[in-house]
Amino acid sequence: MAETYPHKEVIEKTSIYLPEVATLREKRPMTPFDTYFSFELRDHSLGHRPGQFAEISIPGIGEAPISVSSPPATDNRFEMVIRKVGTVTSAIHSLEVGEKVGVRGPYGTSFPMEALKGSSLLFICGGIGLVPARSAIKYALEHRDDYKNISILFGCKDPAQRLFVDELEQWKQRDDIVFYETVDTTDLSTYLEMSHMDLSYRGPVDEWKSKKWKDNVGVITTLFPKLDYVDPRETYAIVVGPPVMYKFAIMNLHDMELSDDHIILSLERRMKCGVGKCGHCQIEDIYVCQDGPVFYYNDISYIKGVI
Amino acid sequence: MELLKISKKNFLSFVDKKMSEKKSRIVGVIQKGSHFVFDDLQSSKDLRLDYDVTILPPKKYFQPQKEVMLKFAPKNVESYVAVNSYDPITIFGIHYYDLAAIYLMDRAFSDGDGDEHYIKKRENSLLIGSYPQKHFKQRFSRSVVKDQYYKVADLMLVDMGDEYVIEVVSEKGKNYLKGSQLKKNTYSLKQVEEAKTHIKDDQKLPVTVDIASEFLTRNYYHSVWKYFGDKCFSCGSCVFVCPTCYCFDVCEEIDLTLAAGQRIKVWDGCMLENFAVVADGHNFRRDRADRFKHRTFRKVKYLPDRYRYFGCVGCGRCADACTADIAGPNKVFKYILEKQ
Ligand SMILES: Cc1cc2nc3c(=O)[nH]c(=O)nc-3n(C[C@H](O)[C@H](O)[C@H](O)COP(=O)(O)OP(=O)(O)OC[C@H]3O[C@@H](n4cnc5c(N)ncnc54)[C@H](O)[C@@H]3O)c2cc1C
Ligand code: SF4
Ligand code: SF4
Ligand code: FES
Repeated sequence: MAETYPHKEVIEKTSIYLPEVATLREKRPMTPFDTYFSFELRDHSLGHRPGQFAEISIPGIGEAPISVSSPPATDNRFEMVIRKVGTVTSAIHSLEVGEKVGVRGPYGTSFPMEALKGSSLLFICGGIGLVPARSAIKYALEHRDDYKNISILFGCKDPAQRLFVDELEQWKQRDDIVFYETVDTTDLSTYLEMSHMDLSYRGPVDEWKSKKWKDNVGVITTLFPKLDYVDPRETYAIVVGPPVMYKFAIMNLHDMELSDDHIILSLERRMKCGVGKCGHCQIEDIYVCQDGPVFYYNDISYIKGVI
Repeated sequence: MELLKISKKNFLSFVDKKMSEKKSRIVGVIQKGSHFVFDDLQSSKDLRLDYDVTILPPKKYFQPQKEVMLKFAPKNVESYVAVNSYDPITIFGIHYYDLAAIYLMDRAFSDGDGDEHYIKKRENSLLIGSYPQKHFKQRFSRSVVKDQYYKVADLMLVDMGDEYVIEVVSEKGKNYLKGSQLKKNTYSLKQVEEAKTHIKDDQKLPVTVDIASEFLTRNYYHSVWKYFGDKCFSCGSCVFVCPTCYCFDVCEEIDLTLAAGQRIKVWDGCMLENFAVVADGHNFRRDRADRFKHRTFRKVKYLPDRYRYFGCVGCGRCADACTADIAGPNKVFKYILEKQ
């Protein structure tokens, strides 16, 4: 095609797609597939609220939306836990401390911690759902006096997939909160068959082969009966987990007479741009990257197949 | 709105003069084989304002099929720069329904955090619209477009036979006309209106736009979705040719030399099978019927809910491109009405 006019390429200073630079300061494997990362921005704090996410870039590989796992901070650090599932997440896993990534964000809605002041909080976290929930849990614990009862239920597949184990222990010890956890199974034999997976970090698998799990076994809803009376008028449930968990968690919350406007959830969808342009995250008329990922359930319960 | 007129002969020399000035890239509708396309004009003689429809809408100038957003040196995070590539551009002969679609794109890309890559391209454009002079068997624009196209047009050309009446819509358009052989309009408003609308559409949306959204919502569980979904090949043709489909994918490209890379936007569409797949393989819109329904609802409900205007401009391109003959949103309405 003949071009009659010379092409002009300009630098855009303010592009919404342009990442900033952050440096990896700390990295620590948590489970065979999940690794903890602490990043530092150069001269300002990320400025996120609990439940928001950011897009992490590796030049030449791509970008992935990842939840911020730390509570809002005044320094320039923020934490993430990333599961190795594909191209971008593998590239992030192979970074060394001191190496850099691109960051865009924070994006999306957050857990309404201000609005929840004076209420009781019931966290229901499944597997990697603990990662975004942790920013809200830590925030609530830092502002313990602002909230009434705080209860945390955490469930994951097996003992080797527990995240933030030191913090789980601390939460268990605290007498000003309620913490229960469960695993779906104590059987670790599946890891032996996972030769296709790079189990570079076998720590927790080896540990739990010799150690015996003494806590609850069963899906997360088996923890509900352990809770004391939950007052549905003053309690808000914050639910984050894999798609299958939502339906059952919400059924149980309804049994406890929590109404849909007392149920807050964080949804995962395919995301690309993170800024409401590319269309990938749309569920009906909602853009999850902007109208979510955190929703009051009553705002989205009308949508078929939303959970 | 000011109305002026110009003889067709003088209009063509006006276009030639603009081309020789080289102040902007000049694009118009030209014939390619048995079809029409928007392309760079080589001469005003190539301009075909009597076209039925173009293969692609002019969205390609504001959101190219593949567009570089960032450049970088691989592995070097410090090297990211955002780039934008555009020329001042003047486009001749955009039918009013395609202008209505540009209005929606403008809203979407400037909503919330504005997308500079799109906005700059639009700011550097001048849009000269027109009204269809030829039938197109799939078109139903009259029943879905109101007068929102005036919000983006700079000038509109009305074909009066030997002359054009020019509707001067914007200040920018008025300035563009300076130095051309214009006369005062001598036609009555009725004559002008007749010339704008004398080509009737061959199709129409069988319900009025004001109730379309509610009508479709009532039929959320209608058998039409499965019936059409079963016929769909998920080829995506309907979204690529659509002037109001602007979803995109974000991809990474590395030069063969491995010394430079770029992050690009590429056209993507919700009718394609993997559009909503996440990392573990879960597909949030797995069934073709769900994808077909999403696309239709986006046009008829989601876009109007956000931007007040109907999200389909009735150009009929999708219906023309679809081998299964199901893509025209008007066909969904027709089917539902017939089954009631
Ligand atoms: C709001 C939000 C928060 C998230 N938080 C976390 C987190 O805290 N920790 C974590 O480990 N993971 C999180 N994810 C999932 C993570 O974004 C995907 O696992 C990741 O994008 C997969 O990319 P990949 O290139 O490694 O995988 P691949 O399978 O190679 O991905 C292929 C392509 O699909 C896209 N893709 C696949 N799944 C997703 C997805 N779920 N969302 C967006 N794009 C996807 C990728 O962008 C990539 O281009 C979150 C996702 C969302 C939407
Ligand atoms: S053009 Fe037709 S067959 Fe192809 S995706 Fe669209 S509706 Fe389906
Ligand atoms: S949906 Fe079809 S008729 Fe409507 S604007 Fe898009 S291509 Fe044109
Ligand atoms: S991720 Fe692009 S629109 Fe939400």
